Amino acid sequence: MKRRDLMANMRRENVARVIDFLEENKNREGEVSLTDVMHLAEVMSGSMFDFLSTVQPAVTEELTAISREIGRMKDEISQLRANDMTGNKIPDAGRELDAIVEATENATNTIMEAAEDIMGADTSDPAVYQELVSNKMITIFEACTFQDITGQRISKVVETLRYIDERVTSFIERLRIPEDLDAAISETDEDRRKRELILHGPQMTGEGVSQDDIDAMMGGGQADIDKLFD
Amino acid sequence: MALDLQMPVLVVDDYKTMIRIIRNLLKQLGFEDIDDAADGTEALEKMKQRRYGLVISDWNMEPMTGYELLKQVRADGSLSKTPFIMVTAESKTENVIAAKKAGVNNYIVKPFNAQTLKGKIEAVFSD
Repeated sequence: MKRRDLMANMRRENVARVIDFLEENKNREGEVSLTDVMHLAEVMSGSMFDFLSTVQPAVTEELTAISREIGRMKDEISQLRANDMTGNKIPDAGRELDAIVEATENATNTIMEAAEDIMGADTSDPAVYQELVSNKMITIFEACTFQDITGQRISKVVETLRYIDERVTSFIERLRIPEDLDAAISETDEDRRKRELILHGPQMTGEGVSQDDIDAMMGGGQADIDKLFD
Repeated sequence: MALDLQMPVLVVDDYKTMIRIIRNLLKQLGFEDIDDAADGTEALEKMKQRRYGLVISDWNMEPMTGYELLKQVRADGSLSKTPFIMVTAESKTENVIAAKKAGVNNYIVKPFNAQTLKGKIEAVFSD
């Protein structure tokens, strides 16, 4: 079949769709989203379908499969609800954590003020002192009610993390993304600072060394340190 | 070096509540002259203005950490002998080893109690 005949098999409206797409996006200075790329692939595969079906049925099958896969990817991306995550879920979780920090700080300050008032109180009159201690104890009990509220807030944050985990895990599984496809993690300035200044933060229970181990290390020499690695 | 309850103590922590806790514990132990700083940079400035008998510092602070403060103190001829206790949530072995190599006098892992703080201060001044 001559080239001119083959081109004639490309339907005019399909070619027009490709041209329209390119015209619409030519001034976007590289700001092309994943959705744009998938849309272009869809338009291109649609345009080439008629053309290639006359040339090579196997290629047509491939293009059909690619088109189906693109459609499935679009569906998976919509299931991810990424905009809901970044627009609502994650900011909400951040606000909950801020509220937890504020509540615990307020409660701690209230408790410490009460304790400081007791420590600094005049004990010369036992009756007055006893009343002051009783009042301050009630203040401490009241301040401890923060734990109920922060517990509920933490549950909401955990719920959000679970929501994100479920969707990302499902997305990875459905797209069959292999582990070795992950891009190498490059060290940021913050990562470098943490590495150089040995900043790990608090360890979970059972991790890290105990105060007794530290005492042994501080009291002994290299041999005591070596024992920790046995 | 003898333990002197009149000596000025510098507490370095970026968390005001922790400064308040340590300050109250030190008062309970009998210390009266207690100063504080929010990070290593501020602490170093204060240490150059005044001779402290003891520094109690957190590790994780910005811009200057307690670990950097410790190294700078030990490298400064006029400050190098200042007793230095690290009080931190950093409890990995490499942290303790690094602090010891840098010349820390004692190391307390958070959370801690008054008895631990008292014991470590006494240990520093009984050496």
